[in-house]
Amino acid sequence: MQRRHFVVGLAAAGTLLAAKPAFADLPSLRFRDMYSRGKDLSDQAIALEGQRIAMTGYMAPPLKPEINFFVLTKTPMATCPFCDDATDWPNDIVLSYFEGDMKFTRFSNLIRVEGTFDTGIETDGPTGFVSKVRLLDTNYTIL
Amino acid sequence: MVKLSRALIASVSTIALTLPVLAQTAVPQADDSYFLAAQEQLAAKEAVKPNTGKAKNVIMFIVDGLSIPTITAARIHEGQLAGVDGESHSLAFETLLPHTALVKTYTHDSQVADSAPTATAITSGIKSLNGTIGVDQTAVLEDCSTQAGSTTMSIFEQAEEAGLATGIISTARITHATPAAAYAHTVGRDWENDKSLPEDAVGKCADIAAQLVDWSFGDGFEVVFGGGRANFMLDSQKDPEDETRTGARKERDLIADWQAKYNDGQYVWNKEGFDALTADTSHVLGLFNGSHMQYEADRESDAGGEPSIAEMTTKAIEILEKNEDGFVLMVEGGRVDHAHHAGNAARALTDAIAVSEAMKAAYEAVNPEETLILLTADHSHVFSIAGYPTRNNPILGIAGTGDDGLPYTTLGYMNGPGAKTLEEGADVTAMSGEEVRAALQRADLTEVDTTDIDFLQQALIPMGSESHAGDDVAVFAQGPQAYLFDGVIEQNLIYHVMAKAVGLNAAK
Repeated sequence: MQRRHFVVGLAAAGTLLAAKPAFADLPSLRFRDMYSRGKDLSDQAIALEGQRIAMTGYMAPPLKPEINFFVLTKTPMATCPFCDDATDWPNDIVLSYFEGDMKFTRFSNLIRVEGTFDTGIETDGPTGFVSKVRLLDTNYTIL
Repeated sequence: MVKLSRALIASVSTIALTLPVLAQTAVPQADDSYFLAAQEQLAAKEAVKPNTGKAKNVIMFIVDGLSIPTITAARIHEGQLAGVDGESHSLAFETLLPHTALVKTYTHDSQVADSAPTATAITSGIKSLNGTIGVDQTAVLEDCSTQAGSTTMSIFEQAEEAGLATGIISTARITHATPAAAYAHTVGRDWENDKSLPEDAVGKCADIAAQLVDWSFGDGFEVVFGGGRANFMLDSQKDPEDETRTGARKERDLIADWQAKYNDGQYVWNKEGFDALTADTSHVLGLFNGSHMQYEADRESDAGGEPSIAEMTTKAIEILEKNEDGFVLMVEGGRVDHAHHAGNAARALTDAIAVSEAMKAAYEAVNPEETLILLTADHSHVFSIAGYPTRNNPILGIAGTGDDGLPYTTLGYMNGPGAKTLEEGADVTAMSGEEVRAALQRADLTEVDTTDIDFLQQALIPMGSESHAGDDVAVFAQGPQAYLFDGVIEQNLIYHVMAKAVGLNAAK
């Protein structure tokens, strides 16, 4: 069974069935398919540069209350007291910028995010947060 | 009296005549395949004789968080991946390390341990406080002023003083609690670099990475392999594998300091450098990731390339065994624990299997008659195997259906990120019944691939990080004095058996 079924399955079981069609026509990118090795983007990811895409993951707890992005992670960014400190992010995070106000959701909720895929190392001005890939103008749905 | 004697003889004779007859009568199940397999196992058990000799070498595998259900699930998973019957399959350490005991993991101040005092129990032979490493019970957690008077002497420190070679390997940061218990003495397990020291400890209590480089016993560790490179690099230094990251230190380039201290040694940070290491290496510092090394399931995608835990183990043995007096080596599978904390059973199991392979590689690389090899865990996790999947059901699969009509997986967690809960600050009174149900009801797994490497098992209690557990763990061992691992033991006994075996017991 493919990951696609996983997502559809959760959506069917979950809450916002009405939101599903909005994503239906977008190409999707899985976390595991983003890089070929290390920080080298995969051919699939390179081909999606600049396009509206959908990704499935988790929203890390916001770095601070007034902020215009959230960090999309492959697995819940649990604050494991014995694993990582706060600055020790995984290598495959996706910075997800949004316009206007956005309601944050709990880090353990699986979400589907739509945004414009942007690549290349950039530093966020206000926070100094360095990212390799981003989703711009995002919105999300809890699955 | 005579009559009684006759009667006794008569009855004994009757027994003597009767017993062989019973033994010669084949039981109806004698040809049953399980019966025959157990007969074979019985013969194998009878062939195991206690080795009461002195150990030349000690190799301790510590698998962080390897609870007994994790062993069972990893065994089944390995068998199923190999296409054989998982339930009756055995991991390498289950067959090669025949002496076993249950291990009580409580600490001096807690029913449920973290890795710091449990590693101290194994390396220094005492119970101590959660959150502290290489210090006794007189220490006060994160009170630097109590550190100096409470330090222990680890088996690695004793081994170096006695002229043995020593090595530490971890797939976690080498400054993480378990490997740190080989060399560090600290009242704060999180003091891994100088930036993490509290103000009142600066200049008084050294951080863990600095303690590793400044370690003054014997001629120092011959082998150090692990992650945690950032704790040795300045915050002005860019990481060689990822230019978006830097070191974590305010002061001291500890890699340069190590190279200055061991000017005949080699520092390596990627697979290429690792592969170039030869047995004649005198000292090696291998730091293969800024933080923890990759999970085994993700290792192939690492930017710089990482050796497997089995490759690190055999390379370490090649380097250490040059010392004719022997060696003491710790190999930590550090990330079974991390995968469990994340509620991700698949990665926990694949990392457990990787350590089992490393243990097998070690067994094949040494003379097992003169090497005490043990494998244990520091603590358990709230991870369980639920009923009642059929035989050969995928261990990562669905076990059955709950009273809520929804499928549930065989593997699950008592707590962790896999539990559902309301959003922070949610007002239930303002929500519809459907909204509350949607927020709290566990997901329907009917169409979900629960065997996917990224699948998170469901949990009962919502917690950011799944927790350790207080149930006993196991120790498996072979070689000199391994027979002493028997019954139910205190965790700190493990140190005493190792020290006795290798002749380092500094008991009064």
